[in-house]
Amino acid sequence: MAYTILVVDDEPALCDMVSDILKSDGYKVCRAYDCTNAIAVFQDAHPDAVLLDVMLPDGDGFSLFRQLRTIRDVPVVFLSARDEDNVRLQGLGLGADDYITKPFLPQELLLRLHAVLRRVYRLEEQSHLGDVTILWAKATIIKNNKEIALTAKEFALLKKLWDNRGNIVTIDALCAALWDGPLVGYENALMVHVRRLREKIEQDPSHPQHLLTVRGLGYRLNEEAST
Amino acid sequence: MTLRNLMKATLILSLSMMLITVIALGGMMSFTAITFFQDRSATTSTKDISDTLQKTNGQYHLENPALLNDSNRWAILINNNGEVIWQYHAPSSLPTHFNLTDVASFTRWYLSDYPVTTWIRADGLLVLGAPPGSQWKQQLVLSTQSLSLLPFWLLGCILFMLIAVLSTSALLLHHWFRKDQKERDAARSDWINGISHDIRTPLSLVMGKASRLEADPRLPEDAKKEAAIICNQSKTIRDLVGDLNLTMRLDCAMQPLRREPLQPEMIVRQAAADFLNSGMADGYPFDIHLPDMPLPTMNADATLLTRALTNLLYNCVRHNPPGCAIELSARIQATHCLFVVESNSPSHPQQISDGIAPDGNAAHGTGLKLVKQIAQAHGGDAYFTTGECFRCEIALPINGSLL
Repeated sequence: MAYTILVVDDEPALCDMVSDILKSDGYKVCRAYDCTNAIAVFQDAHPDAVLLDVMLPDGDGFSLFRQLRTIRDVPVVFLSARDEDNVRLQGLGLGADDYITKPFLPQELLLRLHAVLRRVYRLEEQSHLGDVTILWAKATIIKNNKEIALTAKEFALLKKLWDNRGNIVTIDALCAALWDGPLVGYENALMVHVRRLREKIEQDPSHPQHLLTVRGLGYRLNEEAST
Repeated sequence: MTLRNLMKATLILSLSMMLITVIALGGMMSFTAITFFQDRSATTSTKDISDTLQKTNGQYHLENPALLNDSNRWAILINNNGEVIWQYHAPSSLPTHFNLTDVASFTRWYLSDYPVTTWIRADGLLVLGAPPGSQWKQQLVLSTQSLSLLPFWLLGCILFMLIAVLSTSALLLHHWFRKDQKERDAARSDWINGISHDIRTPLSLVMGKASRLEADPRLPEDAKKEAAIICNQSKTIRDLVGDLNLTMRLDCAMQPLRREPLQPEMIVRQAAADFLNSGMADGYPFDIHLPDMPLPTMNADATLLTRALTNLLYNCVRHNPPGCAIELSARIQATHCLFVVESNSPSHPQQISDGIAPDGNAAHGTGLKLVKQIAQAHGGDAYFTTGECFRCEIALPINGSLL
């Protein structure tokens, strides 16, 4: 299913470029250059998500965001040249799904939009980690044709690593994802959960191929087995 | 307005205010002196009048009545028994006999609301009266001990006035300076924000287009390489714009520090992970060193500190050829927590030193300056050394940042 994305930006050249990037990734795109036009297109085209500039000629993106949300609850990603903390936090505080600061790389835009759509529309019911299948809705994995349940902590740990797959996730970020409050002293507990998760997702937990330790920093989850 | 200008203006204003004070004091002293001499002349005139009052053939005669008429005054002469033995234009309400109490009272104060002056004569007491309300009489009695302290009191008063004048002028100028500074900071902030905004949108187009060209399989390799260069340089401009914005905000104290309790190790690990995840570390041996024992919890802005460290790590890559070893560490030294970034490329000069002044401060550019600003915003400082290896130490006070 191709999702329809509404791109709202007062700069036609940028609007065209973003549209091309989205189209090349299989999305359908509709465009608007101001608030008035955006509302009309939003009502006509029923987009599945909106990429919204903050500064528009006939209003600001935050007000437009509120108006759009009263019409229909769709994921909205702000795409703005304003990088001040307070503006970014204002946008996210309103309930936006993400805030991307210009300039951005096309790949970054696609990845972040995809992450939003995946979260909102639950695109992925299941994921594959080598020979292992992860069933997110059931919080289980299938390994060697056998369904294995994950504990709440193991699920949270796997989710955090999967959302950042291919990248190092620090032990501090993992602890923060698993526990609230001060993180000092949780490192050992984290290691226990990592070991148990490895026993479930790795063929040989002593020689992990997917959930790798990055010495002194944290862990990295690779979709494909390391060679 | 620079500090030197501020001090100059403070000095000028202080001197002006002191001059005004001196003029005011001079005026007051002149007034007092004039009044004093007028009173003296009044006293003299009482004596003069007394001299012109002659007794001839048992009758008193005033030789120059104009002395009294001009100032609308009257006169009486009281003999030693308290009887009024002569009068000139005296009010009818005045008694004709005075006892000792009456005399003691009016010589100090007033006689039936008439301000009076007296002169002792051989035949009695001459009393000159002026119209009611024309003169003010005040008794001043000082002990000799108090009088001896008068110079110190005067000196104290002058010192107090001096301090008051200096403080007032300093406060006034500080207020104007702050107002002026705030207005200029706001204008600068608006200007930088505007420039930043105007650069970011076209830069998005440049980065986006270049990135797509780089990934276009139909293009020859040379063209892709050109596109990659454009893309990389665009990223550099993007980072510079971001740094410029942040450095301006820190400079104008417009970047609120979001302090929170954190482990210094967390900052080191996050900066290292960001560095490795960005792919910039490829080809550069990279290591981190943390002490076995946990470092004390600090109260700091995690985002800004991480940015300072990643800035330093990116700088090491930008200014050194592949193969240059980069190291990131943290440790406690006396009262400070030290974050250290070090790069070592013996076969190549450390080009990063271009941005460092001889005294070890950031000389230009926003990268190293930003690192220093972030450290200073946390009450610490950043020190840069170059030579065979580049080294930056960010020292943050533990006490100042502890919860």
